[in-house]
Amino acid sequence: MDHFDEFSRPLEYLSPLDKHLRTVLRKYIEQEVMPLRRRYDEDWKEHALIEPAFDRIMGGLGLQKALFPQEYGGWGLAGSDYIFRFAYQLCEELGRADTGMAVALAVTFWPLLVIHLEPYVNERLIAEFAPMFCGTNKAVFAANAMTEPQGGSDIENMGLLKGRTIHTTARLEGDQWVINGHKLWPTNSGGAASLFGVPCTTRPGSADTDDFAFIYVPADAKGVTQGGPYEKAGMAADKNGDIWFDDVRVPVWYRAHGPGRDAEAFYQLISFGQVASTAFLTGAMMNVYERLYEFVSTRTYRNRPLKENDAVAGVIGRIAGDIDICRILGHEAAMMGDRRNTPYGLPLVSEELVGKIRNIKDFVSDRAVENLGKAMDVLGCYGPDRDWDIEKHWRDIKIIQLWMGGKQLCQMESARYFFNCETL
Amino acid sequence: MNRSLDYLFGTAVGDRGEDAQGVISLVRQWAEKEVIGNRLDYQRNYAVLFEEKARVLALSMGLQRLALPEGQGGFGWHDPGHVADVAAVLSEVGRADSSTGVLLAMNYALFSILTRFSEGRAGLVEAMTASYLDDELKIPSCALPGPGSMGRETPLYKGRSIPALVESRDSGPTLSGANIRPLAAGLRADLFLAVCAEEKGRPCIALVPGDNPGIERGSEVLTTGLNALANADISFVETEITQESLIKKPEAVPMLFTLLNLFLGGVSLGAGMNFFEILGGWSDSRVIGGSTPLKENPLCASVLADVAEDIACSRLLLEDLARLVSPSGRAWSLDTEGQYTYAVMIGARIQKGIMRAINRGMELMGSAGYAKEWHAEKHWRDVKTIQSLLCGVGAEAPVKMDTARFFYDCREI
Ligand SMILES: Cc1cc2nc3c(=O)[nH]c(=O)nc-3n(C[C@H](O)[C@H](O)[C@H](O)COP(=O)(O)OP(=O)(O)OC[C@H]3O[C@@H](n4cnc5c(N)ncnc54)[C@H](O)[C@@H]3O)c2cc1C
Ligand SMILES: Cc1cc2nc3c(=O)[nH]c(=O)nc-3n(C[C@H](O)[C@H](O)[C@H](O)COP(=O)(O)OP(=O)(O)OC[C@H]3O[C@@H](n4cnc5c(N)ncnc54)[C@H](O)[C@@H]3O)c2cc1C
Repeated sequence: MDHFDEFSRPLEYLSPLDKHLRTVLRKYIEQEVMPLRRRYDEDWKEHALIEPAFDRIMGGLGLQKALFPQEYGGWGLAGSDYIFRFAYQLCEELGRADTGMAVALAVTFWPLLVIHLEPYVNERLIAEFAPMFCGTNKAVFAANAMTEPQGGSDIENMGLLKGRTIHTTARLEGDQWVINGHKLWPTNSGGAASLFGVPCTTRPGSADTDDFAFIYVPADAKGVTQGGPYEKAGMAADKNGDIWFDDVRVPVWYRAHGPGRDAEAFYQLISFGQVASTAFLTGAMMNVYERLYEFVSTRTYRNRPLKENDAVAGVIGRIAGDIDICRILGHEAAMMGDRRNTPYGLPLVSEELVGKIRNIKDFVSDRAVENLGKAMDVLGCYGPDRDWDIEKHWRDIKIIQLWMGGKQLCQMESARYFFNCETL
Repeated sequence: MNRSLDYLFGTAVGDRGEDAQGVISLVRQWAEKEVIGNRLDYQRNYAVLFEEKARVLALSMGLQRLALPEGQGGFGWHDPGHVADVAAVLSEVGRADSSTGVLLAMNYALFSILTRFSEGRAGLVEAMTASYLDDELKIPSCALPGPGSMGRETPLYKGRSIPALVESRDSGPTLSGANIRPLAAGLRADLFLAVCAEEKGRPCIALVPGDNPGIERGSEVLTTGLNALANADISFVETEITQESLIKKPEAVPMLFTLLNLFLGGVSLGAGMNFFEILGGWSDSRVIGGSTPLKENPLCASVLADVAEDIACSRLLLEDLARLVSPSGRAWSLDTEGQYTYAVMIGARIQKGIMRAINRGMELMGSAGYAKEWHAEKHWRDVKTIQSLLCGVGAEAPVKMDTARFFYDCREI
């Protein structure tokens, strides 16, 4: 194999933007991110190095506008039939350099998709938020604030719990929503985001999806307080912290769609997040392959290149083989999302689609966690060395296995679909 | 979780002497009072507090002197009869902080080797012992054979490259070798215990004082874990050492590997046990689905069981390994080679088991497992670092080759 680009993916699935975007993005990333990424960990709080890179990629290159319709200065991609594949490509390419950056960008799309994806389009809110993202060359972030102190998985477990455990409340007063609650961990919190998408309940304890509300809250609204970023094992480019909503008032029309439809539009998000997560993983794994290739070609065992030793070859062969398979699976997951409007596709709110995509993400996460650990071991005493980049990816990607409801919820959603379980 | 670790994981306390039990209890108190009870503080001011707490343990409580010869002010735990006790003490230390554990493990390996091969080097033993009695935290660092580089053929230790060579000159043995990566602490080490090759390619051990003018240190290497033991590559540039600092006995290098596998197994086990406690606390209080305690969910309970199983098995393996390499282990009829093979094989198994336990347990902790505040992630990084350092290069390939060679008489691998 001559190049990591040769890892398999179904070529007929590629989006029309693939070639152009890959060329431009890769050049940017290799110039702006790769040379500095080994210093990102120490920059977790200030983002002195990270922020300019975001400005170049999100603002300068314009990626943060991608979803918005062209008439608002965007690229109109949310209306295309390849939004999942576009996102996959973007996240994979960025994930190759830094999965923390990739998640910060992908999560900016996440809450915005709730008002962009047919059949859940809210023109008025699109027009409202477009200037925030399309009218600047600086990076602007959004956050999807689901997780609460008592647990994140339950809120993502919409299929079963239907929002019953959400503590954050939305109360209608005149023509305003009044929001109270405490969220934590959202990507782009910790002071980064300008806009939050907030899943909340209009009737605490209710399992009626009519009572689930998805409401937008500008970060500078009165009553919003944010904590500083948490220090984590990795993913320094993503800031995560606490957000308190204390009688925060937003206009009534800041609710995405209304009773019932909010829950459906939010449920669509879950698969988008899983597809993006899979892309972060294959991107990181491809970069690990690149670095591993260099190591096993230049370092020796018994004075011969490591890769020419049958025992080592057995290990690295499996690692590369798994990357190849995972990438095919990832593209399949993205295509499942993009097939939603075809006669043979599944709607994003179907349990089958959610279960199958969660299953792919769970499978790829497990392969990534295991293979990156193995790759570190192949490097022996150089495995923990930041300069070889593999340990960074190993630290960064562990959370991809854990977030969005965790591994166990993925297993449950799969079982629920494949075995028609009713109470899990 | 209201039962003690000793109860839950069973331990051969009956085999332990009173002295050993006393030291273990003291170290446990240190771990709980100085570190575990102040985790958040310890994490936030790690660099400063590591030094402070390590000094309390090593100097005020005397752990730095544990393996020094008894007649010379030490406790005499260099003696092979004490290996199980040393491993148990290191588990207690590892429960608090793996970096401190690794530092002491290297110290104990050093004095075990030095005293085992003390013939003809009484002066050196005495001088080294005296320096370890000082009121100063000592930082020894081991450099083992590992990956080689293309175009630089080196002598081998069981397939692993030995990057340092020793030449006999009129002035005495002289070491050379560039960009050698020690296990840990290369930046500040005051003594290197380096595996090197003599002229005929035979592996031996050189003890090189850190202030030897022939040592060049690279800049600090940022690493996944063991962050308190800042590492750096070292180069020996015509480094002159004394004759007695060179241990040429063929058993020396296998013994070093054997001891490091046992001792670092102890450190990682301790980290795993503390992770178990953290996870236990989490699973006691975390509720999912609005009302079910996490540990009462059958899927989560099965993951908890996997974690406990891996830690329990690792602990049994560690105790067996300690018995096997202690003098009473002769009953097992293994020679040095056999002991070495069992040590690397079981050592790798312990690291793998603990790593798997932490990796799986983190699954249940969601973001808390990933946040520095909870400390679970530190154990995860530290143990992974120890595992990568120990298993050599090629993901255990050298260990597998050692094992196959021993059990199947392979000759070419
Ligand atoms: C870098 C990073 C980025 C993040 N980004 C976001 C974001 O953008 N938005 C956001 O809202 N949150 C985000 N999070 C939070 C993350 O999604 C949650 O932490 C995650 O969903 C798990 O929730 P929890 O930590 O509360 O664990 P819990 O929900 O308490 O789960 C604990 C364990 O219980 C298991 N479990 C839960 N329910 C069940 C069940 N029904 N059956 C069996 N097992 C179950 C879980 O799988 C897990 O193993 C992020 C976290 C990090 C670290
Ligand atoms: C039910 C059944 C159906 C079969 N059908 C057919 C059939 O239709 N046609 C047919 O021709 N045969 C058939 N076989 C035979 C089968 O394909 C062979 O047994 C198989 O290819 C392995 O060959 P071997 O048994 O001679 O083992 P060997 O070739 O001697 O291999 C022994 C071991 O050495 C390993 N090995 C070999 N070379 C290397 C290397 N270079 N590096 C590292 N490891 C190596 C192998 O992986 C294997 O583990 C069948 C066998 C069974 C049981």
